[in-house]
Amino acid sequence: MNAMTTRAERKQKVVLQSIAFIILGVAFIFLWHTLKNARAPSGQPASEAILRSALPSLFNNLYSVLSISLLAILFGIAFAFYLEEWLPVTNWIRRLIESLVAILTGIPSLAYGILAILIFFSYADTLKEAVEAFPFPENIGTIPAQIETTVFYAEALTFILMVMPLTIKTTQEALRSVATPIREAAYALGASQWQVLTRHVVPIAFIRMLAGGCRAMSRAFATAALLIGIYTGYYTTDAGGMSGRFLLFLGVALVLSVFSSSLTEVYDSDLA
Amino acid sequence: MMPTEEKQPILSIRNLNIWYGDKQILRDLSFEVHQRQVTAFIGPTNCGKSTLVRCLNRLNDFTPNFRFTGDILFKGTLLGASTDTTALRKQIGMVFRKPTLFRCSTYENVAYGARISGINRSEPLDAIVEKNLRKIGLWDEVENILDETPAQLSTGQQQLLCVARALVVEPEVLIFDEPCGELDPIETVKIERLVRDLADDYTLIFATNKRRQAARVSDVAGFLYSGELVEFGATERLFTNPQDNRTEQYVTGRLG
Repeated sequence: MNAMTTRAERKQKVVLQSIAFIILGVAFIFLWHTLKNARAPSGQPASEAILRSALPSLFNNLYSVLSISLLAILFGIAFAFYLEEWLPVTNWIRRLIESLVAILTGIPSLAYGILAILIFFSYADTLKEAVEAFPFPENIGTIPAQIETTVFYAEALTFILMVMPLTIKTTQEALRSVATPIREAAYALGASQWQVLTRHVVPIAFIRMLAGGCRAMSRAFATAALLIGIYTGYYTTDAGGMSGRFLLFLGVALVLSVFSSSLTEVYDSDLA
Repeated sequence: MMPTEEKQPILSIRNLNIWYGDKQILRDLSFEVHQRQVTAFIGPTNCGKSTLVRCLNRLNDFTPNFRFTGDILFKGTLLGASTDTTALRKQIGMVFRKPTLFRCSTYENVAYGARISGINRSEPLDAIVEKNLRKIGLWDEVENILDETPAQLSTGQQQLLCVARALVVEPEVLIFDEPCGELDPIETVKIERLVRDLADDYTLIFATNKRRQAARVSDVAGFLYSGELVEFGATERLFTNPQDNRTEQYVTGRLG
């Protein structure tokens, strides 16, 4: 935030934050109410069951968010470099990918969560078979045994689809922020493309690229929040049939996504 | 300093046509640049001077939708798709309209050309920096502030630094693309004097839209008008006895 923030903007922000807190409060009431009355399929109180299954699902999600989005950010940055520095603007692959990226970055993270449930999680088993049939080299690392792989692959696909476009976009913008005269001056002195990249472009664009990575990751957290909600709700309790399950899901999802979208907002306003 | 003998031209351009997309920028240009001469290109804004000089060190390669036909020969070698542009740009240096110094100290800016060629030890670097700063006559002014950022220098001093930086690479040809576009008259005089001095050791190409400046610094001049090389020849003749009506109108100030 800077000094330019106007009074009206600040006022608006306070109102928005109050609304967010009200939603948060309502969500907590939902949660508390549901947990108090719900029973898990095993017959034990849902509150106990949640501790036993929400924590693993939280761990699952943290693991997949961190590992997948880190990988996706690295690949996204590499890909953005290739698009921006090697492919000419007129190249049709670049045009296609840039328009895809423009579409994908416009989708809210909540919509990605729904996409994940409707498509990837519905075909999670098929996906798992497909991934495991793929001849990966033996030594590229393994997924810890505690991780539920069926979920992991479906989540991975969601995060890649969400994090990659945003990273590509922010990295491209960072690279474009490096002034053309600086590049031309270096080229005119006989610097190679690699020297221009390492000596000028990356040092100038680095901070923006970092901010872009944070933004992408906080977005992944927002969707992960939704997924945690789904899993907790789905596996923990029958909670009075579908409606109870739905309430529980809604509660957890709202709490976590309000939290993480406020995170996103911090990054959007301060760093980007 | 007129062209004396029939030497091999260092750069020869034959039937050069340049397009940006569908828009033709330059039409059928042919001329030759000889060693140790100042060749100036004059013409109103947007006549294609910059495009022309950027063609010679292949900086236009980065412009989207750029394409050209015709031959550009540097020391008898045709510049084509397989040309090593990095090596070419080390031989054909360039100074731009705005001083484009890097975000590092004055010393590092000048030493840049040596560093990218792999000279990293401090003794040769010190010598190179001092030699080139003395050559452009800026050594006394910046000797004590070499480790500070060049942003505090005047625009004219920054432009001189850019010349020094270009000289470090030891080019044979040095292109000036409107080097005085942002400078005041006193600084302009310094650059012009420097250009005359450098002509003893280098081949210089000088694009400008100030006709008197071209008359002062150049040996050979070409008049570009909307993408056409209207006239090309010895500066004295071009300014005193122009063959083309448009050249006459331009040098007398009635056109452009």
